[in-house]
Amino acid sequence: MHPALAVIFLTLFSGGGFGLMALVATVNDLQIDGGLNPLQTTVAVLLSLVFVTIGMLSSTAHLANPRNAWRAFTRWRTSWLAREGVFAVLFYPFAAAYLVWIYFTGAPSAPAGLVMASLAGVIGLITIFCQGMIYATLRTIRQWNTPLVPVNFYAMGLASGATVLALVRIALGGKAGFLAGTAMALIVAVAVLKGIYYFWIGKPSGPTIHTATGFNRFSVRLLDQGHTFGTFLTEEFGHRLPRERALGMKVVMYLLAVMIPLAALAIVVTDASSVAAAVAAVSVVAGIGVERWLFFVEAQHVVNLYHGRQRC
Amino acid sequence: MATVMEFEDHGKQEIKYSTCYMCACRCGIKVTVEDNKVRFIQGNRNHPINQGVLCAKGSAGIMKQYSPAKLRNPLRRKPGTERGAGEFEEISWDEALDMLTERLARIRATDPDKLAFFTGRDQMQALTGLWAQQFGTLNWSAHGGFCSVNMATAGLYMLGHAFWEFGDPDWDRTKYFMLWGVAEDHSSNPMKIGLEKLKRRGGKFVGINPARTGYQAIADEWVPIRPGTDGMLALSMVHVLLQNELFDWEFLLRYTNAPFLVIHKPGEKGDGLVWRDPEGHPMVWDIETETFANGMAPGVKAALFGEFRTPDGQNVRTVMSILAERYLDGHYSPENASRITGVPAETIERLALEVAHVAFRETITVDVEWTDWAGRRHDRFIGRPVSMHAMRGISAHSNGMQAARAIHLLQVMLGTIDCPGGFRAKAPYPKPVPPPNKPAQHSSPNTPLKSLPLGFPTAPEDLVIDENGQPKRIDKAYSWEAPIANHGLMHMVITNAVNKDPYGIDTLIFFMANMSWNSTMNTANVQEMLRAKDEDGEHKIPFLVVVDAFHSEMVNFADLVLPDTTYLERYDAISLLDRPISEPDAICDSIRHPVLRPDRNVRPWQDVMVELAGRLRFPAFVREDGEPRFGGYKDFITNFERAPGIGFLAGWRGEDGASHLRGEPNPDQWDRYIENQGFFQYHLPESTRYYRFANRDYLELAHKIGFNPTSDPIVIELYSETLQRFRLAGMGLYDGPQPKDPVDRERLATYFDPLPDYYEPLEQQRIDKKEYPFYAVNQRPMMMYHSWDSQNAWLRQILAQNYLYMNRRRGEQMGIQDLGWAWVESHNGKIRVQVKLIEGCQEDTVWTWNAIGKQSGAWGLKPDAAEATRGFLMNHLISELLPPKQGERRLTNSDPITGQAAWYDLMVKITPAGQGEEGVWPTFPTVKPLPGMEPSPDVLRYHTHKPVNLKS
Amino acid sequence: MRLGLVIDLDTCVGCHACAVACKEWNTSGTTAPLTDYSPYGAEPSGVWFNRIRHYEIGEYPYNKTVNFPMSCMHCENAECVTVCPTGASYKRAEDGIVLVDQSKCMGCNYCSWACPYGARELDRVSGTMKKCTLCIDRIYDMEIPEEERQPACVLTCPAHARMFGDFDDPESAVGRAVRERGGYQLMPELNYDPSNHYLPPRVHAPIPTDGLRKKAAAKVKEWVNRVVER
Repeated sequence: MHPALAVIFLTLFSGGGFGLMALVATVNDLQIDGGLNPLQTTVAVLLSLVFVTIGMLSSTAHLANPRNAWRAFTRWRTSWLAREGVFAVLFYPFAAAYLVWIYFTGAPSAPAGLVMASLAGVIGLITIFCQGMIYATLRTIRQWNTPLVPVNFYAMGLASGATVLALVRIALGGKAGFLAGTAMALIVAVAVLKGIYYFWIGKPSGPTIHTATGFNRFSVRLLDQGHTFGTFLTEEFGHRLPRERALGMKVVMYLLAVMIPLAALAIVVTDASSVAAAVAAVSVVAGIGVERWLFFVEAQHVVNLYHGRQRC
Repeated sequence: MATVMEFEDHGKQEIKYSTCYMCACRCGIKVTVEDNKVRFIQGNRNHPINQGVLCAKGSAGIMKQYSPAKLRNPLRRKPGTERGAGEFEEISWDEALDMLTERLARIRATDPDKLAFFTGRDQMQALTGLWAQQFGTLNWSAHGGFCSVNMATAGLYMLGHAFWEFGDPDWDRTKYFMLWGVAEDHSSNPMKIGLEKLKRRGGKFVGINPARTGYQAIADEWVPIRPGTDGMLALSMVHVLLQNELFDWEFLLRYTNAPFLVIHKPGEKGDGLVWRDPEGHPMVWDIETETFANGMAPGVKAALFGEFRTPDGQNVRTVMSILAERYLDGHYSPENASRITGVPAETIERLALEVAHVAFRETITVDVEWTDWAGRRHDRFIGRPVSMHAMRGISAHSNGMQAARAIHLLQVMLGTIDCPGGFRAKAPYPKPVPPPNKPAQHSSPNTPLKSLPLGFPTAPEDLVIDENGQPKRIDKAYSWEAPIANHGLMHMVITNAVNKDPYGIDTLIFFMANMSWNSTMNTANVQEMLRAKDEDGEHKIPFLVVVDAFHSEMVNFADLVLPDTTYLERYDAISLLDRPISEPDAICDSIRHPVLRPDRNVRPWQDVMVELAGRLRFPAFVREDGEPRFGGYKDFITNFERAPGIGFLAGWRGEDGASHLRGEPNPDQWDRYIENQGFFQYHLPESTRYYRFANRDYLELAHKIGFNPTSDPIVIELYSETLQRFRLAGMGLYDGPQPKDPVDRERLATYFDPLPDYYEPLEQQRIDKKEYPFYAVNQRPMMMYHSWDSQNAWLRQILAQNYLYMNRRRGEQMGIQDLGWAWVESHNGKIRVQVKLIEGCQEDTVWTWNAIGKQSGAWGLKPDAAEATRGFLMNHLISELLPPKQGERRLTNSDPITGQAAWYDLMVKITPAGQGEEGVWPTFPTVKPLPGMEPSPDVLRYHTHKPVNLKS
Repeated sequence: MRLGLVIDLDTCVGCHACAVACKEWNTSGTTAPLTDYSPYGAEPSGVWFNRIRHYEIGEYPYNKTVNFPMSCMHCENAECVTVCPTGASYKRAEDGIVLVDQSKCMGCNYCSWACPYGARELDRVSGTMKKCTLCIDRIYDMEIPEEERQPACVLTCPAHARMFGDFDDPESAVGRAVRERGGYQLMPELNYDPSNHYLPPRVHAPIPTDGLRKKAAAKVKEWVNRVVER
């Protein structure tokens, strides 16, 4: 698949933003480490909104005909993309209401506020699920067509959210030991789940050039694709990553999304260093960015079979 | 029923019927026009050629019409600029035609042969030929000499009809179809329609071709053959048929010269000629009366085999005896043929037995009464449902004439000529073997030629040579070097004119011919020749006129450019005097008429020719008072009569339009054609649809309407006396002109075999095949026609770059990678190209699509178009001359009989390109844009109206 | 009704006539125009509804070339419609034709991701997704002569390798062809249930040649003539 930055940014940032909101709600709901103070909460929720907005705006930038973007909510009965839109939009009033509540009351952990926060958090989590399902329902792309996709989206949204929240907390003078620990646990979960995912997509399955053409008994090779240069189909779906390069990118991904953040967060746990927390946050976002790029580039749409791939 | 929907507004649309010209197929089209723009071009369902279907080219006609490469004004090379530099200035038509008239008048009044007029892929040779004849120059032909002449000549000197456009398989009845060396560029829709019919009926389709693309893709059996060896394959099949006595006795005895007696006196004059009685009748041996008899007398029971001694003591043998002895020889055995063709011996034998099975055990009949040439009634036509078709892969070799004859021989042995299920003639064919008109031999100032410049020689006396035996035509057609060059040798014109061999010319007119690019051999050198000057600074070709509708590479070299209209903007007659559109069951012709109004200062070349003819006072084009006789092309077509009652269009003749095929001119004839969807069709009565070479009713009709000079039967000539006469001249045994140069003598003696034969192509005889191990040929993509379609915004999306296709295993063995770049080198030059490794390529062959490579800047393409940066021409590798040989003048790289350009005799070697060696080589300077040409658009959004959106 | 196409791989010669006729009709059709990019430039491209690919089956010399036209299959389980968030993509209940309402499409490409057959192409200039309409503006337009009320590709196909009809009607041309010739769907394992079917190349029975081999005259001189009247 074509790794369009807009789509990468969409799930990367909005996933992190929703994760962040969910964690804010959880931390305040359960008063973990005493909960977040109003400033921490405000900054965290603002950051969540900024992240979600970056995601939403870049998704609109991805549209070829954004004039009709408003129609994207109409088919929520069948389309996970519409559902994502509906919930993403629904997220805003609750998150915003929570901010307003804090602004006027200064009590982020008051029950009314927590209701708003929790609703925003839940909606965010639902939105992450919708985002995962956008990909996971596509039978045309076997690398996506798995429950591992929403699971991974959750792990990564929450891991990046937790890392950012830890940073917010430390930077604004709070204790972040538990949050950092949670972030580390989530990052480990990311590492494990992504590992499972990579193992899973490494196993060939699904349609082949034989089932695509109906010629099952003999070798099938592309003689000519019928057009000398690219088409929408080759540009959108034709991307491929050589195995060595994919491996290299995965190393980079693990380094940025897992190793560096884990190390930095370990420092955070011991030293409460906000610099380390910042390093962890930037690194994890960058790492998941790389992961998301790989997620697209490694996705092999079955239409490629018609352009000569033996399997996808 | 569907929901209520809105549709496009047909109220402002107009339907016009015309004829396609996106290739030479000439399908009927139905054009929907909206605001002088084309909404839709589709096939005309009622049209005999395409029956409603249309190919990719036809549908892409819109993009041809709106090509940015369209010429807009007459152009003159800017004074003081170099030819080929592409600096032009626009001039008016008056200026252009005044300039040209003055020049042509001077030539015509002094030495008309100083005008050479050669035309490309036009469909108006009846008019251009007439024009040249009236001008008085011998130097005219169309492009057939580098295209199809081997096939036409082989057929017309043997059957009376031929492959290419003069015959068709009986698609409705044939059960076994062999396609020999066919690229997809002619007869393309009829072929596809026919193949589907054949396959639907369960018939077998065998494709003989080094490449499995195009039609071969759907062949039930693909026979990958080495290029240029098809003749051997056919003759080896004849060998198998003879071995097993599988041939059509009745057919051979009744309709061919197989029983004719041939004089056998080797080394003496008259050897190998048919023994004739004093009246000239060919003699046979009557096995019932056991006497010699006139072979043309009805009822004679001739011996097919036998050797006899005539009363005057000559040894004679039947043609069939000679033939059988020849082909039963082990030289033609499948084993030996396999070594030459690369086709396994078992396959050759099996193919021969398969065709025999279908011809003789699956015989069909059409139960219709008919009368043969002698007046005998028959109650049915016997059909042998095996048919064949052959084209460029056979034609474009220097042994192509004989190879085509070999295939015809195979057909005749099976009795599949113009019979149900066989290979049928299309009107005005069959014609006498060969047709009776002879080429004009002499020209003189201000005088039309006595006949057309082209014709059909039957003996050395018919050659167009001077008293010293030197060629009189600039292309050396009808000289000892190419005695039966019935279509001329357009590919030699530039070389010969520049070398002033046999003489220099003054003005060269090219119409629709891309002779500085894909239509010439040796492209880079030819471009140099076009620029070449004498010591006095005058160009070796002093004045070059190019007539075209588009900015081709050739336009760049013109001194004067005359811009033509497109096929949707003008009148055209696709005439029975020319390359008609007839079908086996119907005599047909057709027209084009303006569907759109031109938006540029262009004129149809036919109109310009008629005007020039008036200006130059050609006798056929002026009245007695010296005023022009015709008001233009349209008027010319209506009123010109070649013979009384015979004009360019055969339908709706006579004052009242009621006479078809022959009749007085009808002033409303064009209107009748337009009313009748642009074509005329005369369905032949069923009794005249087969065996037309011997079918009295047909022969009488053909005589009456001027197709044939008499209604005599047409005898199929398995054994060609014409060729034997030339051969005798080569052997010094001919009473008449004989060549002096031993080179000519040897060529005549060797290649003018009266029986079809296989010999190694001439160039290959001189090439070290260890050094150049690959045969290199061109194929034609079905969605493009030669060079015409790279300008087409839709078609070039499908194909904008050609590759050198190569057998995958062979390429891998040589270390050549798929899509890697490689050097391809011949004795004449080298090119760098991108290779594609495929399965569907004979192992010793490489091939590419023809004419995809373009010179940067031409055809309205951006200078960096893929056609110029990655596409290539094989032409650079092909020389128009054979490799030199000690003690021999330079000879044309052509068939020694017909002068057909031997494009496919090429041998090459292939080496992987080095590191960093990418992109096509050689490259050429970018052609400058013409004045007044707008830059090609970067985005195209063609449509004729606002869309009617369908709402969900 | 379930309208769709049958493609005969036995007779398709790969000439691209269908693709160009489609382009020609539809560039002024309901989703007009079909934009072309760089039409005269280095790398020409554009929006097409119908593309023909060419494959080689088997290995030399037993290889066969198969030409493979593909356009919208008008699937029964049209995921492209399911996933469309705006409602621009829809499948008509009355005949199964899958269409895109150009006035609603926001150009998110999601439908094209859901399509296994590459049937949808984004027009970068209009920003909308375009695809085969089965020439709905031909097949129902009563002002077009009845015999021409067919998709442009079917109308033009010189090898008659394309048939159009109602798969719900077992006696329709398409229904019969699929039944008699073993018509199949592409990538059936994805369960999109495409309407369009492909007919496999026919296998030609061997032609009997036994009994044809005989010894003719050993020498030409020994051939016994037959009596045939000329």
